[in-house]
Amino acid sequence: MLRHVLQRLLTTIPVMLGVLLIGFLLMQVVPTDPAIVRAGPTATVELVNEIRRELGLDQPLYVQFGIYLWKLLQGDLGVSIINNVAVTQELSGTIGPTLELMFASLFWSIPIGIALGTIAAYWRGSVLDRAVTAFSVAGGSVPVFFLGLMLIWYVGFQWQLLPFTGRGGPLWTLEGWQSVALPALTLGGTFIAPVARMTRTAVLEVLSAEHVRTARAKGLSESAVVLHHALRNALIPVVTLIGLQIGFLLGGAVVTETVFSWPGVGRLAVGAILSSDFPMAQGTIIVLSLGFILVNLVVDVLYVALDPRMRGH
Amino acid sequence: MASINSAAAAAATPVAASMPKRPGMLKRLLREPVAAIAFVLVVLLIGAAVFAPWLAPTDPFDNDLANAMAVPGTDGLLLGADSQGRNMITRLLHGLRITMMMGMASVLLGGLAGALVGFTAAFYNRIDGLLMRLMDVLLSFPAILFGLAIAAIFGPGVPAVVLALSVATVPLMARIVRGAALVVMRMDYIEAARSTGMGDVRLILHHLAPNCLSPIFVFATLRFGQVILLGSALSFLGLGAQPPLAELGAMASEGRNFLFFAPHIAVIPCVLIFVVVLAFNVLGDALRDALDPRLRS
Repeated sequence: MLRHVLQRLLTTIPVMLGVLLIGFLLMQVVPTDPAIVRAGPTATVELVNEIRRELGLDQPLYVQFGIYLWKLLQGDLGVSIINNVAVTQELSGTIGPTLELMFASLFWSIPIGIALGTIAAYWRGSVLDRAVTAFSVAGGSVPVFFLGLMLIWYVGFQWQLLPFTGRGGPLWTLEGWQSVALPALTLGGTFIAPVARMTRTAVLEVLSAEHVRTARAKGLSESAVVLHHALRNALIPVVTLIGLQIGFLLGGAVVTETVFSWPGVGRLAVGAILSSDFPMAQGTIIVLSLGFILVNLVVDVLYVALDPRMRGH
Repeated sequence: MASINSAAAAAATPVAASMPKRPGMLKRLLREPVAAIAFVLVVLLIGAAVFAPWLAPTDPFDNDLANAMAVPGTDGLLLGADSQGRNMITRLLHGLRITMMMGMASVLLGGLAGALVGFTAAFYNRIDGLLMRLMDVLLSFPAILFGLAIAAIFGPGVPAVVLALSVATVPLMARIVRGAALVVMRMDYIEAARSTGMGDVRLILHHLAPNCLSPIFVFATLRFGQVILLGSALSFLGLGAQPPLAELGAMASEGRNFLFFAPHIAVIPCVLIFVVVLAFNVLGDALRDALDPRLRS
């Protein structure tokens, strides 16, 4: 188990370095010279050259990459071109809200998705099954922003039930819950379909397994068979697949944050790109990528931890 | 050589004729009413996208501020007008065209590159591991991250979106193609073709690739729907098509500013995106069922 974790950690390092290298090269191809930006519009050539030396921009690229990595390890991702605030400072305030939004979305969508998938698999071929399948095909075709705009229009604007812009506060306050409700409904709403589909496949597979037949044969109640013998085993692949869908969720989160002006990493990234704030864009993309690699790593380890059969491999 | 071939063909003909005729792919597909509807929809949508400039009643950039935010049903404007008084029908047709072209380009570019990687990996054992590890790395990043990074480097626009979605499609197609090609590689006719001294490229192009077409086709259809969803989302964020260009996601984004006064400006493009994606998803599922003999009852 420990060996597996270490092995996975080791294979992650080159990927992380690759991401950082791409993030670094991103800054090399953009058409702005950070030294000129920092020096200001009235600076002399000498001043720009001096700043260039100070920032290490006169060094060869590989030395600059080294400097960049060293600064990164110290938590220095540069300074925003737009408002001169340190990128890490701005970023640190947005990670919490993004995690909050993702958590709130998964909190309600996973149980519903699993329930729908189990129902569909148990009554395979019935009207219920076909309804769930149709729902998941249709649900997988809805643009996130469509769902968001509809919720804003009806729940937020027409019925005035919930706020639809910004974040009211942390999750443990009432304002926090109210403000996260619509974004979480939107993001979670697009997540039900894939979870239901994956659960249905997994439960179908387990239902035809021999240990389920044995459980039935020894006279267990149907609910015991389904809940304890079938669903429990089916959950292993479902957990992994949900983990692998985090990327999908992240994409939805970027859009959801923009629709609801939710102050998360995704909205910060989009805003930075649209305003050509390159250091900020670079920082947000790096943080999103590294976070993503981390999630994949955790899912992978979790998979082995959940399924003893995987330990030998 | 030619005489042997024709003799073989002559010998094979009676056998083929005596076999019960298998209904064509299309016929099998259209037997399902839902699939048939999806197929008709896809044909109509492609037709509308291709002929948009001729079908559209007005110029897509023609604005008439007197009609700004006209609701659907206003005289002469069946679906109303947008915030600048441009005819919604015209904008939707052109938007559909740009959105579908964006999707088509991404699936074609990413699909071709992915197929190349997949065939190479299946054919040359030595680099299989390396290639597929690389694909795994690509696969571990969500498409939206490629979209953000590429828009940051090259600036927002349709080319950035196409590039991002192509890159995101490569590893998926590579996996599908490799899987299909590995099965075909075990067939006797590949061995036979190889024993005639056929070169690798010819072998891949003439014998391997044609027999891997159905999974490729099914994947491309399903991927088209996903790519439309992602591309319109990137445009909605402002990273794709730039105004005044009509693109469905960009139109929805523009309409978002007028949601409370004229919801139709945002809602109609959203509905159209939903219909396009749904039609391709349903058709892709049906194609898979029709082409995969294991699923056929």
